[in-house]
Amino acid sequence: MSEGEKGGSGFLLESTTRREGLHEELKMAKSDDGIRILQGLLVFGNVVIGMCGIALTAECIFFVTDPHGLYPLLEATENDDIYAAAWIGIFVGFALFALSILGIIGVIKSNRTLLLVYIILMLITYAFEMASCITAATHRDFLTPNLFLKQMLERYQKSETDNNNDSWMTKRVTETWDKLMLQNQCCGVRGPSDWQEYTSAFRTTHSDADFPWPHNCCVQDARGSPVNLDGCKLGVQGYYNSNGCYDVISGPMNTHAWGVAWFGFAILCWTFCVLLGTMFYWSRIEY
Amino acid sequence: MQIVAATKDRNTSPRKQKIYQRDFRKAQQYQESVWSLCSRSCEMDSGERSRFLEGSSMCSPWVVLVFCCLGQLYADQSLKPRIAAPQLATNNPTLTTVALEKPFCMFDSSLHPNKSYVVYLYVMKESASAISSLVTDNNGKPLNSTFQQTSGGHTGPYKAALFNVPNCVSPPKLADVGDVNRASDVLKQYLFRVGDDGTCLYDPNFLAVCNPPLSPDTTYRFKYMLVDSTEGIMKEQTLWSDPIKTRRVKLPLKIDTWPGRRSGGMIVITSILSVLVFLLLAGFLASVSSVVMRPEDSPAVTKHISQTIQQSELRPQLISE
Repeated sequence: MSEGEKGGSGFLLESTTRREGLHEELKMAKSDDGIRILQGLLVFGNVVIGMCGIALTAECIFFVTDPHGLYPLLEATENDDIYAAAWIGIFVGFALFALSILGIIGVIKSNRTLLLVYIILMLITYAFEMASCITAATHRDFLTPNLFLKQMLERYQKSETDNNNDSWMTKRVTETWDKLMLQNQCCGVRGPSDWQEYTSAFRTTHSDADFPWPHNCCVQDARGSPVNLDGCKLGVQGYYNSNGCYDVISGPMNTHAWGVAWFGFAILCWTFCVLLGTMFYWSRIEY
Repeated sequence: MQIVAATKDRNTSPRKQKIYQRDFRKAQQYQESVWSLCSRSCEMDSGERSRFLEGSSMCSPWVVLVFCCLGQLYADQSLKPRIAAPQLATNNPTLTTVALEKPFCMFDSSLHPNKSYVVYLYVMKESASAISSLVTDNNGKPLNSTFQQTSGGHTGPYKAALFNVPNCVSPPKLADVGDVNRASDVLKQYLFRVGDDGTCLYDPNFLAVCNPPLSPDTTYRFKYMLVDSTEGIMKEQTLWSDPIKTRRVKLPLKIDTWPGRRSGGMIVITSILSVLVFLLLAGFLASVSSVVMRPEDSPAVTKHISQTIQQSELRPQLISE
């Protein structure tokens, strides 16, 4: 539809067409503004997605590097899906960043093919991020004190192991617990009484009289030996660590899982709006 | 007090006295059984006791009896081995050990300044009290039975330890335990840990008194005895302690690791994301179908930008006309 062709006809016709053309032109100028605003919003939305993608990658990389050294505990419970969620998060972060660039180019060039590719890839990434987000949120619930308690009792200083994998895990769990209890001045999961209330692999090799709880639960002096072993064994205040390690374990884990889950959720909500806008834009473009 | 009660009773009517006497016979049977428990500390000969019973039965035998036994209980508390102060030793009793307070000032009356004494500690399972709870032989000498001989206190008391008579005049101050340098001294003076020695049973060269670990989830009783160390004769003994039970353990297999109810956050995230992804797919289908279904000649609502640019070039023509 071109105005120029119609301009050559008779006066009456010409005037009516001119009026029509003016109408149309006004309408077009209006929708042109709308489309520019939509374009601007989509570019802005994609910039935010790209930046959030980088941030998500950074967060997940920090999580999988395991700065608190707690991964062996989760690994031994065969419940390390939070780490899986973080690995997916790394991938999704990169993908979102790359796709946001593609999206910006597509929106500015108003290229239908480019935008169709963008939308399809974005939907796939969306599904991945959903998986990561829900996994993290679900497995945060599994990090109960009982989970770590059971594992600690069954694995700490276990002497007879079934196979190589088992002995490797036992070794790592023991090391992790030794380190945890020493560095954080805590004992057991809920407290030293964990070692008294339950039998454990530790109890089968260490007598109750000499080791009511591991000596790492005792308050240590500078040389790394208990300040007063008898006081520690009797549970005299000030010679044993009376608080449990659960907070030390669950604190960082929960924060990470919380971050992966809710930050991912926020990104998904934002991406949802941007994607809907892009689809609308895409369906209105003409070749 | 007894005399007052008796004289008062003489003034009551003969009929009332008959009723009292009938009650008295019933009461006496019960009393006799209780008296066998009480008799040790109420120091009376049998004549005194019967007079006392007769007098008391006239007014209120039960009240007197209760007072007697309360008084006796109070007296007994200081004459029984006690568990160490729980605010000091928080981990007590454990599975195989029991920390006891040493017998401070319990044997003061029997100590003569020129003689040397030691304190023996006897341990038995509560079930053994039915078999034999004697800790001396016929000559008043303390038994020397060991842990193995009594199968861990199952068949009778065994000697678990001997130590010096604790100092009654200057007992250790429990507050001092906070001082790192004095803590071990205070603990050593204040308490004794039964079941502390895990190795003496298996050491053939060990000749002293062996104090091996107790068994878990078992009730034990303890007794201190003052022995004249030169003559080797029992001078005084405490009562058997109240039953003290060692801890029992649970199996870690029984621990339930299921988290139970889900957190609100997880439900929110899962449900909202499901809805969002459904909406996205619906939107995608809608936009694709709108593109496919659109008739080719029908005008689009919005135009390509290049078109609008072309149109804006027409503007000067329109104005000139």
